[in-house]
Amino acid sequence: MKQSAVPIARRQLLSEPAKLVVALAAVAAAVTLVLLLSGLRRGMGEQVTVYLDHQPPVLVGTAGARGFVAQTSILPEQTAVQVARVPGVADAAPISEGFAMLGLHGRRVLTLLVGYDRGRRGGPWRLAEGRRPNAPNELVLDSVVAEDHGLGVGSTLRFRGADLRIVGLSSGTSGFMTPPAFTTRETANTLNELPNTATFLLVTPERGVAPAALASGIESAVPGVSARLRGELAANDRDLFVGSFSGPLLAMVLIASSVAVLVIAITVYSSTRDRSREYATLKAIGLGHRALLRLVAVQASALALVGTALGVVLAAAAARGVGELAPKYLIVLSGADIGRMGLAALFFALVAGLVPARYLANLDPATAFRR
Amino acid sequence: MTALPLTRSVPLARRQLLARRGRTIAGAIGIAVALLLVLTLKAIFAGMEERLTVFIDATGADVIVAQEGVTTMHMTQSALPKERLAAVAGVSGVASVDGIVYKAAFVETGADGKSGVVALVGGGPVPNLVAGDRPGPGEVVLDRALADKIGVQPGDAVRILGSPLRLSGEVTGTAAITGSYAFVTRNTIERMLGTTGVVSYVLVYAEPGIGANELATRISSEISGVTASTRASFAASERRVVGDMTTDIVRGMIFVGFVIGVAVAGLVAYSQTLAQLRDYGVLRALGLGAHRALALGVAQVAALVIAGFVVALGLAGLLAAVLPKLSPTLVLSIRTEDVAQAALVAGAVALAAALVPVIRVVRVQPASVFRRTS
Repeated sequence: MKQSAVPIARRQLLSEPAKLVVALAAVAAAVTLVLLLSGLRRGMGEQVTVYLDHQPPVLVGTAGARGFVAQTSILPEQTAVQVARVPGVADAAPISEGFAMLGLHGRRVLTLLVGYDRGRRGGPWRLAEGRRPNAPNELVLDSVVAEDHGLGVGSTLRFRGADLRIVGLSSGTSGFMTPPAFTTRETANTLNELPNTATFLLVTPERGVAPAALASGIESAVPGVSARLRGELAANDRDLFVGSFSGPLLAMVLIASSVAVLVIAITVYSSTRDRSREYATLKAIGLGHRALLRLVAVQASALALVGTALGVVLAAAAARGVGELAPKYLIVLSGADIGRMGLAALFFALVAGLVPARYLANLDPATAFRR
Repeated sequence: MTALPLTRSVPLARRQLLARRGRTIAGAIGIAVALLLVLTLKAIFAGMEERLTVFIDATGADVIVAQEGVTTMHMTQSALPKERLAAVAGVSGVASVDGIVYKAAFVETGADGKSGVVALVGGGPVPNLVAGDRPGPGEVVLDRALADKIGVQPGDAVRILGSPLRLSGEVTGTAAITGSYAFVTRNTIERMLGTTGVVSYVLVYAEPGIGANELATRISSEISGVTASTRASFAASERRVVGDMTTDIVRGMIFVGFVIGVAVAGLVAYSQTLAQLRDYGVLRALGLGAHRALALGVAQVAALVIAGFVVALGLAGLLAAVLPKLSPTLVLSIRTEDVAQAALVAGAVALAAALVPVIRVVRVQPASVFRRTS
């Protein structure tokens, strides 16, 4: 009789549906957790650079500037004029940006307040409602932050001693850590007590001018500044913000992974012990040790892969749910993460399958005939 | 037939659990890992909160004055013209004031371009100095963890905000996963930034006999455009930054930890119960009532969860002791309220996980013991 003729692995797994469901739920929960954590980390990286992603390819800051969001940079007003004169520069728009810790409903909401000049680069790229700021103390707030805290166009926000009036709500700017808010540069400079300054210049190259070459040209021509490519600053910001959470997230991922291993191991081990009589019968009718191990490995693999698939579906549903219910959190599920998780689950399953190997090796076929 | 007092005289739950030790241990470890998830995450964030206030605590200031509405330092902008510094110094009850400039920056080494992010403080005290001297003009003090990371020691040169500085000393205990502190003189930071006449915060020291609360109220009412907080309330506000920003994540993790805990505990409890159905049949035949059988099932799950909780607590303690030695920026702080919360989660896990197996136990018929199993 061919082994393939009787789907033993499947029948054994399906013989106790409740147990199978609980085991799959446990594996799926662990996989979901791993994927959501990885997705959250990836999403944070995308969110923290959302402002930079919409800016021209070269930014100029104080000498030594390596990042954008968490970097102190102060440039005198005339630097913009000097940079604008560098050959290859089409435009050098000054902005004054910095963290803005808003106190909303007793909770801290960290935003990136960007002051820009009317009609120039640096402002909101999409408005959900209202208009751009034109006058001092006018503010455009991210629409998700506004909705979370019951604010709208016409609302006033007290911030650092100033009453900022919301004149517009931006969309495509939401973020867990630093959703940008926009005001006039004059307002930002007044709040910072730094009139006639900018923090960065947004430099647009002339057509046909390579950004990297332009950055080098600016650093050579203008003393006391650092000209960086947008991608370079974005990468440093991502490293800084996402890196801060990498340790805890990695610890969580490791714990979740070990739960997945343990669940598979418990399930395979207990089902093997519970079915010892069945295995003894199979041995008695001629099933070899290798075939028995294969049987257990197939069950473990099936559990891991189906659990992983279920986990992926749950993670996708959770990511979508989070996007609907709490849009400030971006969870980006990637094929690479899913692939890695699937491979890891398979590996763990095979390792877990080895747990009862010794027991199966010592199983006496004669036990099948004992009462 | 009179029921035998089995549950009192025979430790059935314990014996049933110990009869299948491998499975029981694996189950307890599974639950422990799920609870460890909750405990570790809370401990990491609690550790972050504590490190956030290292500098604030070390200032020894009675009152901290900031721009109006500002009650935090990290990821915060505060700007006060020096006239306000002078005005604060003039308030009755103020013994002395110290203006500090507080900015985020990168520290870079020259040749290999290694870097780290710091909260750069110009002026004020330098806490926990363990090597070298306080910074003089053109000098900086870094946290030893960062200095080791970027490979510099006292006497070496670094660059901050494009300015070359000499490392004059090292402090400890300020490094967190969000960065560490660096200290320079106020003149140095003003030269680096190219700005003068503006400070970020004013550290206020009270005259003897003047309470911090009283002084803070007095400063806030007498000087416009500022917020004066006692050091304790400022530190509490600073700690809340982490809490406010991570509340949703922590809640999500606790929920996931709960789900995993229930799944693992439920899986183990269910397997145990299935394997013991015949035992339950015997006990029922001997007179064990349905309620007692139910209590027996619940007791086993509860014992499993309690064991898991104890293991989780031990592992969390071990991590809290070991991790800072491996990475000085990763500090775990296990707080009583977080342990209590994990215990609540464990209790909920036990209740939820016990549901399925106890239903099977209650349905066991005493007559089943006399049937052939196969």
